[in-house]
Amino acid sequence: MLAYTLKRLLAGGITVWFIATATFVAMHQVPGDPLMNDKAVTPEIRKNLEQKYGLDKSATEQYFIFLGNMLRGDFGISFTQQNRRVNDIIRDHFPVSATLGLLAIFFAATGGVLWGALTAIYRNRLPDIIIMFLVILGISVPSFVFAALGQLLLVNINSMLGQSLIPVAGWGTFAHMLMPSLVLGLGTMAFLTRLMRSSMLEVVNEEYIKTARAKGLSPVRIFFRHQLRNAILPVITVLGPQVAAITTGGFVVELVFAIPGLGRYFVQAVQQLDYTVIMGTTVFYGAFLVFMVILVDIIYGFVDPRVRLE
Amino acid sequence: MNNRILEVEDLSVEFSTYGGDVKAVRGVSFAVTRGETMAIVGESGCGKSVTVQAIMGIIPMPPGRITSGSAKLDGNELLGLSPKEANEFRGIQIGMIFQDPMTSLNPTMTIGDQIAETLVVHRHKTYAEASRQAIDLLEKTHIPEAAKRVTQYPFEFSGGMLQRAMIAQSLACNPSILIADEPTTALDVTIQGQILELMDELQRTENMSIILITHDLAVVARMADEVAVMYAGQIVESGSVEDIFYESSHPYTLGLKSAMPSNIGDRDKKLTPIIGSPPDLFSPPHGCGYFARCPYAMRMCEDMQPTNFSVQRTEDHHARCWLQHEAAPAVAEVSQSNQDKDNAG
Amino acid sequence: MTDITSFQPSDEDFARVKTDLAVEQISRPSLSYWQDAWVRLKKNTRATISLYIVIGLAVFTLLGPVFWQVDSSLQDLNQISQAPSLPKTAALVGAYKRWDGIILEDFPAEPEAYAKSVAAVTELRAFEAATTQQVRITWNPTPGAGGYNIYRNHRAPEDFNDLGLPLGSTFGGNEVSYEDRLSLESRAYYYSIVPTDGYDEYEVYTVTAITPQMIITVNDARGRNLITADEENNLGQEIRLEFHPFGTDYLGRDMLARLMEGARVSLFIGIVAPFIYVIFGIIYGGFAGYFGGRLDVLLMRFADFVVALPFLLFMILFKIAFGIGPGESGIFPMLVTLALLLWPATARLVRGQVLQIREQGYIEAARLLGAKPSYLILRHIIPNTMGVILVTLTFAVPAAIFTEAFLSFIGMGVAPPTPSWGSMCNEGIKTMLSHPHELIFPATFISVTVLAFNLLGDGLTEALDSRMRSRE
Repeated sequence: MLAYTLKRLLAGGITVWFIATATFVAMHQVPGDPLMNDKAVTPEIRKNLEQKYGLDKSATEQYFIFLGNMLRGDFGISFTQQNRRVNDIIRDHFPVSATLGLLAIFFAATGGVLWGALTAIYRNRLPDIIIMFLVILGISVPSFVFAALGQLLLVNINSMLGQSLIPVAGWGTFAHMLMPSLVLGLGTMAFLTRLMRSSMLEVVNEEYIKTARAKGLSPVRIFFRHQLRNAILPVITVLGPQVAAITTGGFVVELVFAIPGLGRYFVQAVQQLDYTVIMGTTVFYGAFLVFMVILVDIIYGFVDPRVRLE
Repeated sequence: MNNRILEVEDLSVEFSTYGGDVKAVRGVSFAVTRGETMAIVGESGCGKSVTVQAIMGIIPMPPGRITSGSAKLDGNELLGLSPKEANEFRGIQIGMIFQDPMTSLNPTMTIGDQIAETLVVHRHKTYAEASRQAIDLLEKTHIPEAAKRVTQYPFEFSGGMLQRAMIAQSLACNPSILIADEPTTALDVTIQGQILELMDELQRTENMSIILITHDLAVVARMADEVAVMYAGQIVESGSVEDIFYESSHPYTLGLKSAMPSNIGDRDKKLTPIIGSPPDLFSPPHGCGYFARCPYAMRMCEDMQPTNFSVQRTEDHHARCWLQHEAAPAVAEVSQSNQDKDNAG
Repeated sequence: MTDITSFQPSDEDFARVKTDLAVEQISRPSLSYWQDAWVRLKKNTRATISLYIVIGLAVFTLLGPVFWQVDSSLQDLNQISQAPSLPKTAALVGAYKRWDGIILEDFPAEPEAYAKSVAAVTELRAFEAATTQQVRITWNPTPGAGGYNIYRNHRAPEDFNDLGLPLGSTFGGNEVSYEDRLSLESRAYYYSIVPTDGYDEYEVYTVTAITPQMIITVNDARGRNLITADEENNLGQEIRLEFHPFGTDYLGRDMLARLMEGARVSLFIGIVAPFIYVIFGIIYGGFAGYFGGRLDVLLMRFADFVVALPFLLFMILFKIAFGIGPGESGIFPMLVTLALLLWPATARLVRGQVLQIREQGYIEAARLLGAKPSYLILRHIIPNTMGVILVTLTFAVPAAIFTEAFLSFIGMGVAPPTPSWGSMCNEGIKTMLSHPHELIFPATFISVTVLAFNLLGDGLTEALDSRMRSRE
C-alpha cells in the first residue's frame, strides 16, 4: 500500500511538472511580452520591470528560476495588481472555492448514492421513472443554466416570503453556500445516480447475493451489508475525475453567484492576461487536481480489499 | 414414514421473459431420505438448479413464479412463505452451496465475517463468539491455518479453499439438509475429489442429507444413494443409484450413460453423444420431451405425455417413458417393467 | 392431451418412428449484427425520438439559413429584447420633431404659499397619438402645485408607492406636459402624475393608461429595405416590420438567425472534435492492444498521464499560446485542446476491446488459416469494436457541446458578434429576469441536443450489447 501510494505520488509529481512546463512554454509562446500593454513607458522603467520579473534572463534560465520558485511554493507577483502576491491571492480565495467544491461533492455523492439505490429498489416503477427522468435532465442541462435557475428560484422564494431568507448571491454564511453548492453538485449527482443504479442492478444479479439469501439473511441486511457496499465501489472510483469536473464547474457558479473564489479570479486573470496569476493558479489547480485523484484512489484502496493488497 | 425429510410434490416453475413464459420446471416430485444423498442429474438448462432454488425460495420473483406444487420439510410447507418465515429454515435447516465459489462469496467481506454472519443472525451470537466458531468450522472443512484464514478476503483463497469455506458457512447452524448445486463443476479434477470426499465425511459426522445437483454421472455414482434424472423440466427417471446405473429404464439415462467414459468393458468403444438439443421450454412439447432425440421413439410419444411408470424390479424405481407400458415393444438395452420379454421379442 | 388413465394404446401407437435429428428448427429470422442492432434501436422509442431530434437539428443548422435569410448580427434598436411574437406592423412616420411642451401662461409657476395638501391633477391625457417614438402627455394644472413628477409603470399602480419608474419632473405649476421617449414598446403603460412643491411630493396621484402605436420612421424603414425610396409620401401607412418568431436579443438581433448560426458553431465543435479524438483514440488504443507487451505498457502509461492533465487549464494555455486575445474567437484552440486531451478514454476502451478480441478463438483460427495482421485487424478486430466505438462517439458529442457552451459562457469560446449557444446563454443570463426568452431558447437548444445524443447513446448501447441479444 505504501509503495503504491509512493508510486502514485511520483507519477503525480511528474504530471504537475509537465503542467508547469507546459504553462511556462505556453506563456513564452505569446506574441509580444507581458509588459507590452502597460506601465513600461520609458526604457528605464521597462528595464527595471524586466529586472523585477526576471524577464531579462534567457528562457532556460527563466525556466529553472520558475521551477525553483514553484518548488518553493512561490508563485510571484500579480501583473495587474502590482502589490499583490499570487500566493496571497490563492490563500485568500482558494478556501472559498474549496469549501464550495467540497460541499458540492458531498451533495453529489450522498445524493447520487441515495437516489441510485432508490431507483434500483424501485426498478421500472414510478419512483425510478421519475428520478431517472430528472437524472437525464440533470445530465443534459448545462451548469450555468442551473445556476441561473437556482438564482431565479431564490429570488422568487425571497419575494414570496417577503424577506431575504437565503441570499441570492455573495458569500459568507452557510445560507450563502447552500444554493451554489447544490447547483454545482447537480450534474455530478445525476451522473453518480445513473452509475449507482446500474451498479446496484449488476450487484443484485451476483451469485453472492444468492448465497446471502440462501443463508437466510433478511432483505434489509442483504441490502446494506452485501449489495450497497459492493455497488458503491464504482461510484468511488469516478469520484476523483469528478472532482476535476466540479472544480471547473465552480468557475461558472462563482461567476453567476458572485462568489469571491479562486475560479472567478482565474477567469478574470485570463481575460486580463495576468500572466503570473495564470501561471500560478494553473500549476496550483493542476497540483490540486492530481492530488485529489490520488487521494480518492487511496481511499478506494481502503474500501476495496482487492486493491489494498495489490 | 418419517425417514423422508424433504418431500417435493408436483413442483412447477415458470419465468416470464420478453419472449414469453419459460416453463423451466414442469411437475417435479421427489423425496429425500434422512442422512442419505439424493442426486439430481441432467444436462444444462434442464431445470435442476431452478428446482432447488425454488425450494429455497431464492428464485427472483418476478420474473420467476412457482405455479404449482409443495415442498415439505419434516412436514412443514416451504413454498409460498414470507421472506421472514422462509428465513426460519434457510441457513438453519437447509444449507446451500453453489457452483462457482469464486463469485458466490461477497468480495468485500472477510471469510470469517461471512461465516459469522449466519451465526449472528440465526443464533444471536456476538461477532466475537461467532468469529471463534467460524475458525472451528473452517477447521472442520480442513482449511489449514484457519485462525489466519478467517481474516482474509475471498480473493485471497483458491477455488477449492473457497468451496470449503462455502461448505463451512452452510454448516454453521448444523442444517439437516445440504443442497450442493454443482459444487465441483468450476473446480479442477483433483480438487473435485477432495471436495466430494469432504462432503462425504461431513455427511457421516453431521448426519445430514445432501441434495447434490450435477451433470457428472461419475460424481453421481460416487456420492448418491438415490438419483433423479431430469430432462426438459421433468424427472424422467428416478430410483436408487443401482437402479439408475444397472437397470436404466429411460432412453435418456441410457444416452447419458453411453456418453460417459468408462474404464470397464471395451476400451475401443467410442463415446456416443446424444444428438440434437433439448426442446424449447417456451412451448414445451405435448408429448415426451425426449421424443425428437430418442432412438426408440414411437408414434404415440410425439403427442402423448408419458406417465410415470414404476419399473418392476424395485418399488422406488420410476421412469417416465412409454416403453414401460405393458403393451410396448421390448428394447434390449432398456430394463422393462410389467411385461413378458418373450412375448414381445 | 388424451386422458391417460382411460387411454388404451393400440399397436399402431407403438410403431417405431424415425425422428429427424439433424434438423434443428430455426424459429427466428437471421439478421446480421447491424441489422439486428437497427431493429432493436427502432424498437426503443426514446432512442428513435432522439434520432429524429438529431436529424431535425442537422436540418435546422444546415438548411435553416437557406429559408431564414436574416443577418444574425443586424441590430434593430427599435425592437430590442422582444419576446417571441407573430409578425408586427408599424405605421410609417416622418423624422422626430422637437416638441417644446406646454407652459400655461395664465397659471402661476409657483403658488403664493405652499399648502399642506393639494388636489390631484385632472384630465391627464395623451397630447397627440402616442407612438413608440414618443408619448406626449398633458394634464390640467392643480392649484398650489410648484411642479410635477411623472412616473410610468407596466401595470395599474395599487397605491402611491407603486407608481413605477420615475421618468422626470417639471419645475413649475404651469408646466403641464411631458414627453416620454424612454425605450417605448407597443404595450399598455400607466402614467402617473404627482404634484410637488418643487421638491417634495404631495401624496396624491392621477393615472392614465396609454398604449403607444408601433411606428417606424421613413429613414429607418428605408435603411432596412422595408420600403422603396419613393414611398415617402405614404406617411401613416401600415408597413410590415421584420418578423422575429423567436424574438430578439438585447441588441435587437434576430434570435432565430442567431440560434441557427450558434448551432453551426456548437455542432461543429460537438461533432468534429469527438471525431478527431475518437479516431486518434482508436488508432492509439488499437495499436497498443494489438501489439501488446512493453509497447502497450508504455503507451498506456502515457495515456494515463494525459488523462491527469486538467482540461480547462490547457484550453486556456493553448488559447494564450496561439496568441488569441480575450476578445477573439477561441474555437480553434478549443478544437485542439479537445483533440489533444480527450483521446485517452477512447484509446483505453479500444485497447481493452482489442485485447479481449485478440484472445478469441476465431482470431486464433483465422491466424492458423494464414491471415495476415492487416486482414485480422480490418476483417475481425475493427468490425467487432465498432459497436463500442459508435457508442463512445455518441456520448462524446454531448460532452463536447457542453464544453463549448461552458467555455463560451465564461467568455473563452466564440468572439462576438458570432453567436454560439453558450455565448447566447451568457448574454441571456444578464436579462434573465426581464426577458427570460433570451436565456431559455439557447439553453433549451443545448439541453435538447445533449439529451438527444445521450438518449441515442443509451439506445445504441442497449441495441449493440450482445449480452442483451439472447435475452429476447
